[in-house]
Amino acid sequence: MGTETIKSWIKRFDRKPSFGEDHLELSSKIEKEKRKSKKLVLVGTPNVGKSLLFNRLTGAYVTVSNYPGTTVTSDSGSCDISGESFDIVDSPGMYSLSSITEEERISKLMLLEEEPDILLHVADAKNLERMLPLTLQLIEANLPVILVLNMMDEAEKVGLRIDHAKLEKELGIPVVPTAATTGRGVAELINKIGSYKPKTGYNIKYNEALESAINKISTLISDEYPISRRSLSLLLLQQDEDIEKLVKDKEDVDYNKIKKIVNETASKFRQPLNYLVKLRLQGEASEFVSSTSKEVEKVDIGFRESLSRVMINPLTGIPILLVILYFGLFWFVGVFGAGDLVGLVEEAFFGELINPWITDFVVNTIPYVPIQEFFVGDYGVWTLGITYAIGIILPIVTTFFLVFSILEDSGYLPRLALLIDRVFKVVGLSGRAVIPMVLALGCGTMATLVTRTLKTRRERTIATLLMALAVPCTAQLGVIFAVLALYPNALWLWALVILFNYIMVGFVASKIMPGDKPVFYMELPPLRVPRPSNVIKKTYTRLIWYIKEVIPLFILISIVLWGLMLAGILDVIIALIAPVINAIGLPVEASQTFILGFFRRDYGAAGLYDIQGALNGVQLLVAAIVVTLFMPCVAQFMIMVKERGMKLALLIAAFILVFAFTIGFVVNLILTSLGVVL
Amino acid sequence: MKCALCGHVFDENKRLEICKGCLGSGCKKIRCPNCGYEILPEPEIGSKIVKFLKRRFKSENK
Ligand SMILES: [Zn+2]
Ligand SMILES: [Zn+2]
Repeated sequence: MGTETIKSWIKRFDRKPSFGEDHLELSSKIEKEKRKSKKLVLVGTPNVGKSLLFNRLTGAYVTVSNYPGTTVTSDSGSCDISGESFDIVDSPGMYSLSSITEEERISKLMLLEEEPDILLHVADAKNLERMLPLTLQLIEANLPVILVLNMMDEAEKVGLRIDHAKLEKELGIPVVPTAATTGRGVAELINKIGSYKPKTGYNIKYNEALESAINKISTLISDEYPISRRSLSLLLLQQDEDIEKLVKDKEDVDYNKIKKIVNETASKFRQPLNYLVKLRLQGEASEFVSSTSKEVEKVDIGFRESLSRVMINPLTGIPILLVILYFGLFWFVGVFGAGDLVGLVEEAFFGELINPWITDFVVNTIPYVPIQEFFVGDYGVWTLGITYAIGIILPIVTTFFLVFSILEDSGYLPRLALLIDRVFKVVGLSGRAVIPMVLALGCGTMATLVTRTLKTRRERTIATLLMALAVPCTAQLGVIFAVLALYPNALWLWALVILFNYIMVGFVASKIMPGDKPVFYMELPPLRVPRPSNVIKKTYTRLIWYIKEVIPLFILISIVLWGLMLAGILDVIIALIAPVINAIGLPVEASQTFILGFFRRDYGAAGLYDIQGALNGVQLLVAAIVVTLFMPCVAQFMIMVKERGMKLALLIAAFILVFAFTIGFVVNLILTSLGVVL
Repeated sequence: MKCALCGHVFDENKRLEICKGCLGSGCKKIRCPNCGYEILPEPEIGSKIVKFLKRRFKSENK
């Protein structure tokens, strides 16, 4: 019988008007009572042992049916539990009620149409955090759900202990630990199914705007539905097409009224509503998991797992990070990339071979000096734009992207994020600062956009400031490493000053936004030896994007500078900032670095590389510090304007300018008055 | 699409997840809505080369 009904409903869904009068009759209470046997449906994600559990419950008599027009299959069978006969259906895989895949959609429609007497949510006990959002949605929908914590044996093997009694109490629904492979817990599950009484479970509160929208929509809905009005309203807010269709078909109310509420609510947030709901569910799930499960040390966790833990534990993770930074960033990117490779490409290839030839050629063929300058002058498209882009920046980012791709492919990055999160928590800083920290390893130009993932205006503002101030970009780091490699003491001081900055700004940030526990959902993929093909592909992809972005921009900036120089404005600017440059102990030639840096961070870094010969150790250190802290490039500033508004962007920029030069001034003052030679 | 940093699975065609902040037009970078990590779609030239190499490699193996 089970198969028959599934086939009939799926046929209904295949035809256009899915929820017609016939559905109304089917869903009526009378129909339900007329059924001879009760209906039990299994839901859950794939690979959680759902089918195995299904087999344990049904025994040998299983019908596999293929849905017409789809490749989606479902099993059905039956069994007797405490004198009652049950039809059991195993639904296709499903992660969430708000469906993305065809399987999820069919599973959801199944829940709506089948009206199960009991719903088993089969979850992987090892990954409870990822499983619970669906449980919470099912509870929200007021469906008769029992949570099955399957694969409990495996969870215990990796050292996980789940207090299922506590979870049962907190969720307000039956929770049964099982191991379908061995049959453990199946008897207890059958007991719970036999004695099941529907009750109301845990109720999630969303933010005010969402709650009021839920209430408004709920009052507009008058018909009877297989799921709660609250759940229905939430799905409508998430613009679930199937639910929209269901409500449009069933309700007399003008659907535009509901649509208006949905649009109004959506316009209040930067993120889509389905994302907000998902985040909330995930946050609740994390809370449940942290209050009901704990990890105990286990003997045989395997090399990878122990390596993974060692990477996340601050005591061992920080030394590992330092080793990676030292060899990966300092040696490979700084000394090899920014030192050797740039020396080869920029100095030997461009400086000695190509550029003299091109300069000769241009000077000999074009008699007009300003046009000569346009190509090969101090701010020439070729001598500055192309030479910096290809000669200095390209070797650095290539080596960096290589290291980064290796780290990404190995699965280290999420562990790094968790490590930093833990370290920050120890120091009392907001865990949210993790994101810019990790992204700091990539190119930070667009990092400001990331602040969209933060909740409040205040948090976004602080994050914007933090990123503009203390997130250096790759090329900058490379150049600084290369330039300071000859002055180890200067390098240490530089790292110290920047670190001090991070902590200070982070500390202030945490004081301004206290108490807000960030929801940081992160899945840990297994660690693995990076695959060369992956690494090459990733490096190549990043490089192409970078080149596409950087070369036109560098050419454009050269042209702008050339124009400013022709108009005599550049000299005025240099004269204006000269006192500031002198005040921090740098020669006037360094002005160019900062002017370039204003246009683009990596451009400024290239400028620093260019003038390094003219500076001593202390001057290099001061320049490196100011360049790192210095106002990010025009591009980042423009995004700041776009995201935060002109007023705030100007305020942040002004603060950073003053701050960067003040720190430079203070460092220079201390070092020179102490007579330090680096 | 699955985020390479946090493992969050999301629909890459949603407007917000696609970078809108670049100065150059036609940027198709994708940003994870959970953590903000930048995911770069493979450049077209890249996939062409990969396809070409794959074909070469296969025919050589035969
Ligand atoms: Zn992510
Ligand atoms: Zn972009």
